[in-house]
Amino acid sequence: MTTSDVLILCAAGMLVSAYLMVGQNALFTTIRLYGLQALLLGIGSAVIAVSAARYELFVTAAVTVALKAVLIPWFLMRVIDRIGIHREIEPFLNVPASLLVCLGLTVVGYRVSTGFAESSQGVSHHLVGVALSMLLIGLFLMVTRKRAITQILALLTVENAVFLVAVGVTSGMPLVVELGIAFDVILAVLMLGILVRRIVDRFESMDISRLSKLKG
Amino acid sequence: MTPAISDALPTIGLAMLQVAGMLAVAPLLKAGIRRMKARLQNRQGPPLLQGYYDLAKLLGKEPVRSETASWVYAAGPRVYFAAAVAATMLVPVLIAAAPLEAAGGILLLVGTLALGRFALATAALDTGSPFGGMGASRDMTIAALAEPALMLGLFTSALAAGSLNLGGLVRNVLQHGATVHPADLLAFAGLFIIVIAETGRIPVDNPATHLELTMIHEAMVLEYAGPDLALVEWASALKELLYLTLLVDFFLPMGIATSASPGAIFVALLAWAGKVFLLAIAVTIAESTNAKLRLFRVPELVSISLGFAFLALAIRFL
Repeated sequence: MTTSDVLILCAAGMLVSAYLMVGQNALFTTIRLYGLQALLLGIGSAVIAVSAARYELFVTAAVTVALKAVLIPWFLMRVIDRIGIHREIEPFLNVPASLLVCLGLTVVGYRVSTGFAESSQGVSHHLVGVALSMLLIGLFLMVTRKRAITQILALLTVENAVFLVAVGVTSGMPLVVELGIAFDVILAVLMLGILVRRIVDRFESMDISRLSKLKG
Repeated sequence: MTPAISDALPTIGLAMLQVAGMLAVAPLLKAGIRRMKARLQNRQGPPLLQGYYDLAKLLGKEPVRSETASWVYAAGPRVYFAAAVAATMLVPVLIAAAPLEAAGGILLLVGTLALGRFALATAALDTGSPFGGMGASRDMTIAALAEPALMLGLFTSALAAGSLNLGGLVRNVLQHGATVHPADLLAFAGLFIIVIAETGRIPVDNPATHLELTMIHEAMVLEYAGPDLALVEWASALKELLYLTLLVDFFLPMGIATSASPGAIFVALLAWAGKVFLLAIAVTIAESTNAKLRLFRVPELVSISLGFAFLALAIRFL
């Protein structure tokens, strides 16, 4: 098995986890799936670090795994435990319909990815395709899920997708930029976590559709 | 002896040998999964040979049949068993050629399995007991979604190989080397869910209880006793082994024998046993870490696998 095979498997695994996020309703499982996705992203970065001999990518991989696969899932689970909410997601759209939409989005993402010059070769084609599909799925999740936590996870999925393209196709951004992004992500999650608690305090629910009541 | 028959003899012998071997191993797989699951729950678990003890016990009993049952009831387990055995002959296990691959490929395999399921469901309806009818209708509901997903998942690999023939498919993968495509993983994920659903494992059905509100497969065969039940149990175990073998064939065929030399077959046996064992561990973990889904959620789970299969097929073309 070559490194590009491992890379493709990681990317496909990320797509599978994004798809499973759409397909099931338990909040904790969604968080674990996000952790798995980040872990695969970390493995992918490490593989690129070896194959492209860019050893600073090991730092990226380590930061990704530590931050996104361990710290953020732990933090989100703690937030859920603290506010003690009902653990099921009630989407605006039911699961089979969401799956159908995501199917379409993936096909669109894959089709569009063939338009990039970088994606003419095998590995990049799949990486860009998977990343675009994940981006669209993440946006779709953000629109159709009512709960604030799932929206955070959707945002993080989009971030993972962008990261996958950045690492996979351009073989990595400068380390400073990556550290900056990692810092941004953790700040965003912390702030959104606080926001979720405020929403729950105010409405005794994480359902963001109730925010429209705030209109004067 | 005419030449046609003497040519066919080794093929038939091979098919018999494969069926006998798979039938012999099948109860071990079932007991093995049960034991691994027990270990994960800090229990001792039944001995590994429990499957054989159960079968021996059931086969030694006299069949008890309801007075209202017709021949359909008696035929159900037999057709189910025969269908499972026939399906076994269509799948390459140790050698990269199915014994009866001249008879047909993926479509015949799926059709044969569907025939067995149909026979068991009609038999369950035959006595008119509510449990049989309930189990049959539930099983059919799931099967109606699982079957297209199974076919699409298998087609994804067939598309890459350009052949619907299972033996040809495996040989193609071996010749061209395993080129990893994202569609492979998607199809694998879809088929894995199908395997869980079809073998009645936990997110879908609980094989360990007779709790009447949740059972699917057990409700269907609730009225069978003695040798009839033994046939059903044995065929179910065989089907489970068959599904795991299919996954191995399609996605990890490395190590399978390409010639009939004893050494190659021995290596293939070790490789096959190891890969099936790994998949059994995966099934055990999936079963231990998930709670059983509500019945109305099961179609959602199966529709995920249908989605995966569709997606895999679509990505193959793009």
